[in-house]
Amino acid sequence: MKKIIAIRILPVLILLLAGTACEKDFIDRAPLYSIDSENYFNAEDDYYNALIAAYDLLQATYVNVMLGEIASDNTLCGGESATDVIGFQQIDDMVHTPVNSNLRDIWNWMFAGVNRASYILEFADKTDFPGKTQILAEARFLRAYYHFELVKWFGPIPLKGDARFEVGDEASLPRAPVEEVYAAIEADLGYAVENLSENAPQVGRASANAARALLGKVYLYQERFSEAATILENLINTGQYQLADDFAGIWEMSGENGAESVFEVQYSDAEGAGFGCLQCSEGNVAVGFNGIRNYSGPEYDGGFSFNVPVEEAYNAYEVGDSRQDASILDIEAWAEETGATYGVGYEHTGYYNRKYIARKGDSNIGDQNLTNPNNYRAIRYADVLLMAAEALNRGQISDERARQYLNQVRRRAFGDMDHDISASGAALTDFILNERRLELMGEGHRFFDLVRTGRAAGAIPGFVPGKHELFPVPFEEIQFSNGNWQQNPNY
Amino acid sequence: MKQITLFALLLLASTAWGQNFTVTGVVQDAANGDPLIGVNVVLPAADGTVQGTITDFEGRFELADVPKGASLQFSYIGYQRKEAVIETGGPIIVEMLADAESLEEVVVIGYGTQRKRDLTGAVSLVGSETIEELKPIKIEQALQGTTPGVNVTQQSGSPGAGLDIRIRGVSTNGQNAPLVIIDGYQSDLNTLNPSDIETITVLKDAQAAVYGTIGANGVILVTTKSGRKNQAPQVSYNAYLGLQESSRLLPLLNATEYALLLNESYAAGGQDLPYPNASGLGTGTDWQAEVFGTAPMSSHDVTISGGSDRVTYSFSGSHLDQEGIIGGRKSAFRRNTARLNLGIDLADNLKLQVNNIYTYIDRDALNESGLGSVLFNGLNAPPTLQVRDDSGEFTLVPNTPGLGIEVINPLAQIANTFNDYDLNKLNGQVSLDYTPAEGLTLTGRVGYNTSVSRGKTFSKELSYGGKVFDVTRSRVDQNTINDNNYTLDLYATYVSAFGRNNLTFTGGTTVFKEFGRGLFASGFDVPNNDWAFADLSLALGTSPTGGRDVGSYAYDERRLSYFARAQYDYDGKYLLSAMLRRDASTKFGPENRVAYFPSFTAGWIISDEGFFNPDGNFNFLKLRVSYGVLGNDQIVNNGYIGTLSGEATYVFGGALVNGTAIGVLPNPALQWEEAKKFDVGLDVDLFDYKLNITADYFINTRDNLLISNIPVSGITGTSAPGAASPTVNAGSVQNRGLEMAFTYKKRFSDDFRMSLGYNFTTLSNEVLSVNNGTGFIEGGAFGVGQLAPSRMEVGQPIGYFYGYQTDGIFQNLSEVEAHPSQAALGAEAVPGDLRFVDINGDGVITPDDRTYLGDPIPEVTMGFNVNFSFKGFDFTAYTFASLGQEMVRNYERSLSDVNRLNYVLDRWTGEGSTNEVPRVTTAATSNNVFSDFYVEDASFVRLQNVQLGYTFNLPWRNGASTLRVYGSANNLLTLTRYQGYDPAASSGAPIGGGIDFGFYPIPKIYMFGLNLNL
Repeated sequence: MKKIIAIRILPVLILLLAGTACEKDFIDRAPLYSIDSENYFNAEDDYYNALIAAYDLLQATYVNVMLGEIASDNTLCGGESATDVIGFQQIDDMVHTPVNSNLRDIWNWMFAGVNRASYILEFADKTDFPGKTQILAEARFLRAYYHFELVKWFGPIPLKGDARFEVGDEASLPRAPVEEVYAAIEADLGYAVENLSENAPQVGRASANAARALLGKVYLYQERFSEAATILENLINTGQYQLADDFAGIWEMSGENGAESVFEVQYSDAEGAGFGCLQCSEGNVAVGFNGIRNYSGPEYDGGFSFNVPVEEAYNAYEVGDSRQDASILDIEAWAEETGATYGVGYEHTGYYNRKYIARKGDSNIGDQNLTNPNNYRAIRYADVLLMAAEALNRGQISDERARQYLNQVRRRAFGDMDHDISASGAALTDFILNERRLELMGEGHRFFDLVRTGRAAGAIPGFVPGKHELFPVPFEEIQFSNGNWQQNPNY
Repeated sequence: MKQITLFALLLLASTAWGQNFTVTGVVQDAANGDPLIGVNVVLPAADGTVQGTITDFEGRFELADVPKGASLQFSYIGYQRKEAVIETGGPIIVEMLADAESLEEVVVIGYGTQRKRDLTGAVSLVGSETIEELKPIKIEQALQGTTPGVNVTQQSGSPGAGLDIRIRGVSTNGQNAPLVIIDGYQSDLNTLNPSDIETITVLKDAQAAVYGTIGANGVILVTTKSGRKNQAPQVSYNAYLGLQESSRLLPLLNATEYALLLNESYAAGGQDLPYPNASGLGTGTDWQAEVFGTAPMSSHDVTISGGSDRVTYSFSGSHLDQEGIIGGRKSAFRRNTARLNLGIDLADNLKLQVNNIYTYIDRDALNESGLGSVLFNGLNAPPTLQVRDDSGEFTLVPNTPGLGIEVINPLAQIANTFNDYDLNKLNGQVSLDYTPAEGLTLTGRVGYNTSVSRGKTFSKELSYGGKVFDVTRSRVDQNTINDNNYTLDLYATYVSAFGRNNLTFTGGTTVFKEFGRGLFASGFDVPNNDWAFADLSLALGTSPTGGRDVGSYAYDERRLSYFARAQYDYDGKYLLSAMLRRDASTKFGPENRVAYFPSFTAGWIISDEGFFNPDGNFNFLKLRVSYGVLGNDQIVNNGYIGTLSGEATYVFGGALVNGTAIGVLPNPALQWEEAKKFDVGLDVDLFDYKLNITADYFINTRDNLLISNIPVSGITGTSAPGAASPTVNAGSVQNRGLEMAFTYKKRFSDDFRMSLGYNFTTLSNEVLSVNNGTGFIEGGAFGVGQLAPSRMEVGQPIGYFYGYQTDGIFQNLSEVEAHPSQAALGAEAVPGDLRFVDINGDGVITPDDRTYLGDPIPEVTMGFNVNFSFKGFDFTAYTFASLGQEMVRNYERSLSDVNRLNYVLDRWTGEGSTNEVPRVTTAATSNNVFSDFYVEDASFVRLQNVQLGYTFNLPWRNGASTLRVYGSANNLLTLTRYQGYDPAASSGAPIGGGIDFGFYPIPKIYMFGLNLNL
């Protein structure tokens, strides 16, 4: 009897044993259709694909651009009501605190860009192929771009070098002093200037001149005027750029990536987007936010009426300046002229940021307010000329060349030489800085220009010197750092 | 021993061949001598044929041609089986014991069964009678209020919406759903037809440890109906028709109240009055009344079952059709099922069981919860607008600042919603039990689930006048998803007795694999902009160059387990069991592939002791103790690998280019959650088994809590498109509580019976550790752009609400000036604003002043169930109460021109007017930040089901055929102080649950139905 039982049980035991033997085969399966991030960079395409990812976060800088205006004296926050995007409203009124989801976006998104660029550099030596230097140089350009945004907004930030930040770094890595951050940016841009192609391999990618322009700006922010002047004049002397004849034309679709474009953040209307992930949009989110509230009429599409220019900004232009109506839309006059209708939002001024409001005619897939294709003209040749002028003048290098660059910009604006500036010294500085405001109205530079030249306190209502030069590090980040990081002064 | 006697008797019977006669008799209830109607009486013959009858209205039966010495078998639902050896023609009297008095009932416990009397774990049972009485549309609802320690919440009242089951509280902020085993294989509850279920067993403590790494959230074992041996074919048909309506309407402002409030609000903000002349507006449009309707539902099911002495069978089919109380057929749910259960004794020692269920589900849905849902629009649309304009078109909600770009005409929204979801699913099992020698059974079983679903959504090209729902290009999105899994069990059970020692040993292996894929595609430019043409085959438009209109995913997850269990008892008095399970799973990182889960249970039947001298009132007393370690592996797949699944799309040369980017951050050390479960319990039967009490005290500690997408510093790049934070074993949570269940059954007379059931569960939840550096994790959302309102934090209940505490309203300027500045919250306070408490006493109100405002975990839940029968009438009522939980009111859009709940009529209007509700204004205030003003007590008592029926006896089958007709109402009454639609609704999220985004309320259902048994 027992024997029979044993015989009958035997197959079961064998099955069980067989099961044990197979465990390794059964459990050690490869995940389906996935690429391991630590086992990548095996071919040129891998580097190129990772580079696209590093560019992707440029599109998230829309909020930096918007807030660079809203924080300044150029615009009011606007929107629907006093509480519409409360983070924007508070920055406009200079009552922002460390609890601000929009500032947190800037912090998170710019660091995401830093990490994506560093990911490529972390594996820089893994695979060799012709043209790798170009890709590495682009990665370093992009990392410098994101670092520069971070240092402008938040001052000292943690640095990791050619490696991605890991969980836990926030509690151990210090916020590097501003000088160190700038040194890292200069090193990256120096490499980019050396190694980037003079002509970008594709429209939308960085060229050597884009790196020169950014480096010039970085020097200017540190008031290292002679280095700024040198690198900017190097760019000018390449002769690669010229001012577009028609200022208004720059801001239309046909003006994108034009003769004046040194570096441009590319946007597209080809893919949908949602409020759940604004940084995922391939469109320029700022354009919908800036758009005309409840608009119905020709040429433009509607939007959320944020970032509305104040009357003082509109009136800052001289008579005959073609930039006035190209930069700022007088909606009342426009409605009268065309029969368009519009709504009145919060802090309605009657003006809109015409450079970056929605145009009719794009395909506007998905949420049309989030997928406008308007490129952000990040660095225009006009900006380069004005930066060179400023460096030459403030660095007491050559007021003559400074005037020359300044007047190039003015002649395009007025279409004549009657409005040339002939001042020198401090008077010329004022003219140059004022020209920056007029030329770059609505492009996100104003707040930082005021801060770096020490002129914010008088110009921006509510601006507290010693506090508002920097924005607060997000409340959540201070918490994560567990005492490692201190909040910026006076927040 | 008993079997041997029976066997001998059977032998005797067959030798006594030739002495056949007609037997008559009466079958009675052993307790009181009542006749039992419709008892199956069968005589199995040696050749496998069956002869049988059914007792009549007076319990009598008559069976011809019975050989002397034959054994008649008596079976009756709710009673123990009985056999009687026939020596004479009678009349004989057969007494049957009711199951209520029976501890002999066999309970499924996972890889085996156990007599109820021998159970050493905390186990709850729900039988088919309860399911029949409650008439749940989905089976999960039958567990609410009937099983202590089990809490069921509905995600939405919309037809077909999901339900969440939590056994003994929320232990993890990952997957909290219990494991569901149907007839032995891993499956899920949400597609089952409730009337196919015979019993549901809930394993709540370490007893579930035989399921190892998947048992930590408790285990629900479902046994589907099968036929009985030697039973004549039985047909049962159940049908009902129902009418549904909303269980609650919110008190909104009418047009005049609305206009006047707006005027006041605008004036306070220094703006022009929007309604300078508010007279003549009347009450305006009641959007809620327009949105909600009365919706029909119907259900039919038929079951045929029976068996011979070697075969049992049960077939059933069902059809359920439910329309939504919002949108009617636009939110309809349809379910058809077909089931076949066959049991065949291939040989005396070889038994085959086959069970297959086919399910078809068709569900259409409206945008349900949150900003943009139909209800949200119904609540926020101005009552001053008409539903349709003079030309019969839907009125557009104006695109004005005060109404925002999200509020649209809810009826237009319903009309413009087009979607369809169909699911075809087949699940079942084949099992073979082989008994090679006495006491030894080998079981091989394959269970499987396979389903294919198709989804389609049509976005019609339309304009709401500049709202976010405008669609500039028509589009159809389609997907098809295939999910499969199989469970392969091989195990042996050995039962042995030596002296008074009884031993059952079970050991074996389980292989589980799940795999599947999904395909997604979109097409643009739907012909004629019409649902009838909305299909990829016709919608030929594509995204511009570089855009991707397709997507897919695939998965393959596996688990290999070995388990062993020994159950020992001495004399049926001292009971011990020990279990060990070893699991290897693809869910975990290579560093932690294999896990071991041990557990122990013990029981002592005190009432069997000599010293236990019952005074006659105690019939049974058992003490149980259990402790064990279980696991939870319900986490993201491949969480230990860093994959390039991020989004990397940019524009080069004017066209979209797609690259590769890091997705979710990896955690190579990922491992299972560990649940340590302790339970001590008592089972008591009193007063002739009339009163049954079960009491349990439990402590469940969950360690190595798996936290998905754990918030981490933004410097790690987790906010990049398609990226996310890693899943980390980063916490520990403890649930403690007491469960008690009382059942009292009494028969006052032959015609009048009563049974009462009451149970309650107390729950105390505490987070013991959060190892992420900060000691807390945030989640949930309140308003727009605000700090997270929910937290998991050491020393607090998981998912508690964290915000500002208020202390009334500033009545005048001197009160404002005397108080710390609130400017950091968004605006300086003025009289009429909420006064926030300076918790940390630093003289200024900042986010550091936030504190505990309540939590969504009920302190006590209870069920009270009543059952009366008088002559042909029966009456049933089930009530459920959930006390001590809070809910956050988050369905109000903070815009100036939206409609409001009428509590704003009691707002602050001047000094001394109120200390509760702040002023209204269009200017910036801090009143909208998350504070206890938005946290409400959501305790409630709900009459889940009340039912009155009458049973007729039909002339067939000796009067055992019955027809019952009944009227019933579900969710007739809910008592609560909560202002929102449904205090019972919840998203089910551990952190961020209990926040009300405007839940689709559970419907009140009036039903009329019949149960026919032939």
